[in-house]
Amino acid sequence: MPEGENKQDKQATQAQARQVIDVFHEISTLLNADLDRQTLSICISLIENGVNPEALSSVVKELKREGEETIKAHQSGSH
Amino acid sequence: MSSRSQRVSSGIDSLVRRLLVEIPGEDPASAEEREQNAVDFVREFLGSSRGPAIVADVNQASDLIKKRLIQTNASPEKALRFTNLYSRLLSIPVITQKWAVLYFLYQLGDQQQKLPPILTSPFKSPVKTGRASRKMESFIPQSPGYGSNREDKPLVEAFAPDGIKTLPVREGGQRDRKEEDQAFFKSASIQREGVALKTALLAENYVEIDPPETALLRDLPFTLQGLSSTHLPFSSVSTLKLPATLPVPIISILHTLAEPSLLYRGLSLFVQSPGGGLLEQSLRAAISGELRSYLGLVATLEGQIRRALSTLDEKEPRGGIGKAGVTLKRCVVWTREATMGLRLMSLISEESKSKKGGQLISLIHGFSSSHGDPMVGAFAERLLIHVTRSFYDMLRQWIYDGELSDPYHEFFVSEQDPNAIKDNQDGRSRGGASSVWEDKYKLSEDMVPSIITQDFAQKVFLIGKSLNFIRYGCGDSQWVEEYSKAASKELRYGDTATLETWIDEAYKTTMARLIHLMAEKFHLFEHLKALKNYILLGQGDFIALLMESLSSNLDRPAGAQYRHTLTAQLEHAIRGSNAQYDSPEVLRRLDARMLQLSHGDIGWDCFTLEYKIDAPVDVVVTEWGNRQYLKVFNFLWRIKRVEFALASTWRKCMTGARGVLQGEDKNVSQAWKLTRGVLAEMIHFIGQLQYYILFEVIESSWDELQSAIHKEGCTLDDLIKAHTKYLNAITHKGLLGAKKKHHGENDDNTFMVQLGEILRLMLSYREAVDGLYSWAVSDFTRRQGADVRNEAQGRREDDDGLLINTPATTRRGPRNLLDSTPATLPDESIPDEFPVLQERLQALGGHFKSRVCLLLGDLAYQPDVDMRFLGVVMNFNDVYQPVRKKNRATGKEQGRSSAKG
Repeated sequence: MPEGENKQDKQATQAQARQVIDVFHEISTLLNADLDRQTLSICISLIENGVNPEALSSVVKELKREGEETIKAHQSGSH
Repeated sequence: MSSRSQRVSSGIDSLVRRLLVEIPGEDPASAEEREQNAVDFVREFLGSSRGPAIVADVNQASDLIKKRLIQTNASPEKALRFTNLYSRLLSIPVITQKWAVLYFLYQLGDQQQKLPPILTSPFKSPVKTGRASRKMESFIPQSPGYGSNREDKPLVEAFAPDGIKTLPVREGGQRDRKEEDQAFFKSASIQREGVALKTALLAENYVEIDPPETALLRDLPFTLQGLSSTHLPFSSVSTLKLPATLPVPIISILHTLAEPSLLYRGLSLFVQSPGGGLLEQSLRAAISGELRSYLGLVATLEGQIRRALSTLDEKEPRGGIGKAGVTLKRCVVWTREATMGLRLMSLISEESKSKKGGQLISLIHGFSSSHGDPMVGAFAERLLIHVTRSFYDMLRQWIYDGELSDPYHEFFVSEQDPNAIKDNQDGRSRGGASSVWEDKYKLSEDMVPSIITQDFAQKVFLIGKSLNFIRYGCGDSQWVEEYSKAASKELRYGDTATLETWIDEAYKTTMARLIHLMAEKFHLFEHLKALKNYILLGQGDFIALLMESLSSNLDRPAGAQYRHTLTAQLEHAIRGSNAQYDSPEVLRRLDARMLQLSHGDIGWDCFTLEYKIDAPVDVVVTEWGNRQYLKVFNFLWRIKRVEFALASTWRKCMTGARGVLQGEDKNVSQAWKLTRGVLAEMIHFIGQLQYYILFEVIESSWDELQSAIHKEGCTLDDLIKAHTKYLNAITHKGLLGAKKKHHGENDDNTFMVQLGEILRLMLSYREAVDGLYSWAVSDFTRRQGADVRNEAQGRREDDDGLLINTPATTRRGPRNLLDSTPATLPDESIPDEFPVLQERLQALGGHFKSRVCLLLGDLAYQPDVDMRFLGVVMNFNDVYQPVRKKNRATGKEQGRSSAKG
């Protein structure tokens, strides 16, 4: 029985997690945060594990900026 | 822990992988290196800043997001949606770090912030109006252009934490700030929604009004400045005519807007009206300052209105006014705070008409201290600073210079009109200096502003009065000037504690100086001592000598007293006693003179010693005090005189008893015995009375006076009070109290009258005793003469029997003449005289006894312990039966019968 309960629990947790990610995703779109679901879930799990949200946000921004730059550089390089 | 860091690192890896862009055509090695770099960077960065920097709070993050959403979006839909999402999120228990995630999202959203081109948020106004008009001024000039810069500046100001923080401050800081923000934003979002709806509805159902709102808006600044305009003319001073064509809602809005306009008009008239006094003038100045800032507000409003009108899109519904951001309603909101201020000022200006000086300050202070609205309080406080300026100037002059510079009678100390004082003197004439102290200035309680307490006002009053007195009464203006130079400070409203310490300091200095002057320069204490020594007969040897040398003189009628003899005897008494060692300052004030004569008085009744007191000491020893001293002196002098008389008679009796008074007649010696008894009684009575007055009354009161006037921090007022108390104690306990009406018959009841009667009885008794003595002496000589005659006759009869037969005319004539001149009169009258004398002595003695019984009866029921003590001392062996007043008639009978029996 505990197995079954566990399973049920797990399922419920997963559903809830999905719900949470849905909610957060919606908020992020509201805020124009420009994050896809996957990235968002990674970030949430990072934060859940005690990462400083402020630092994480600056890291994400930084990475995005870098990405844009590389794309730009690449584009300009390819031209 | 390790699993957690592992998870973190794997998370970082996947994050980097997701976010890194695939560069087509890049070789895998460099891609991997890039990825590795990125991962390293992320790890390092995250590792260096572990733990949230800000205290975790879900509400805060959500608030921040809400704020942003409201700011960046024209419609509240998004914010509403967020609120929904947020509540859903809160119900899900999976995530523990909701705050962190929200905060992360908030941070990420930062970069994409783009403001939609809305002009100004209408919700700025509730915040804005919280500040006074000055704030309005400050924010408009910051946005000179109508460009992009302008768009977010006011918004930031309105919604930045700074802008909002002012709210709790304004509302007394009672509520939790966060809570308040939350409430505010919740209401803001709801409001926002409502407004959007209303705007839409209004735009749809818009009815063209005449004149249009734009025209009204254009006229509004003029109206607010109290000027007539095309659509809104002022028909009279206090009426504003509104166009009749407008619909009711607009009219009601205009009504609200008319209030500040009319108030402003009224106030500007008030400001221009001439103020009666300095304080009223400063009130007008303060109000005009406030009006100026109101005009500043109107100017900014006008700027706003013009700017909005210039961008109006005529094609929009309602003339596009809904979009312009400036509507009549907005103006109402903007002017709301100012209206409150104007309302308060006009209230003050109305009430100030019937008030002046301190009352005016009290009025405004009442608003600032006891009004429930903190805004009103702050406003009144601001006004108060300006209004009280002239009051504090007056206060400074008063407590540092002792001068009253109050041309409009606004200060709570007022200078008395000398004529008015004369009118007010109810029969009491006062000396010059005492009126300087007591009457020159008056403290009017109702003019004391409520910013200072009554105690404090009393102190201030005393300080100024003392300074003034030092300057004019004591002629020490130099000190006052030096003091005012050294101590003068600027006083102003606000810092009450410092003000109090300053005033306390001034109080101490001034009082110390005044007492010092009184003691050192004007020898007040020496004078008091001299008064006690000479007027209250404290200097026994002096008084004894004076009485001895004056006694023969004073027995003569009052008309025969000459001032020069009196002063000569006084001089003699001073020289002959210890008084000669007193300071000349004291002695030169001592004078002997006669009181006003009345018919039949002898010298004793009129003689008085006088101690002359001049300004400024007569502030303490007033005219009234002098009269009291004189009264006590006259009383004591009479007692002394009776004592002196009784003593001399007693002496005569004692010496006589060994010689002339010895006789065989039983009757006569019995009379003498009784007389001596009564005399002893009288001497006992006088002795006790004198002892009581000198030791129990004067000395003990003197002791109290001494301790009172040598107390630390004693003021002149205290001195005066202590001295008055001293005199009152002496006159009251010394049986000299004022006449009291008692059952309509006041004469017999006062001790003064009773004692006077007793003293008179003693004097007449003494006269009777003297009469008895002279009778006894003549009786003695008669008896001696008779003896001699008998002997001589016997001898003659023996020697010369023939002589009898010789004619009487030739032989007896000369001898008879020689002998009978003393002898013939006594021969016939003396036997008749003795019973008369005896009768008189008995009657007087009996009368004396009954009087004493009465007095003792009165004394026994006195509330004062000392006076009861006097009764006990006089009647220590219960010789007398004290009689109570009520049955005095029977008491008299008893006394008389007992005296007779």
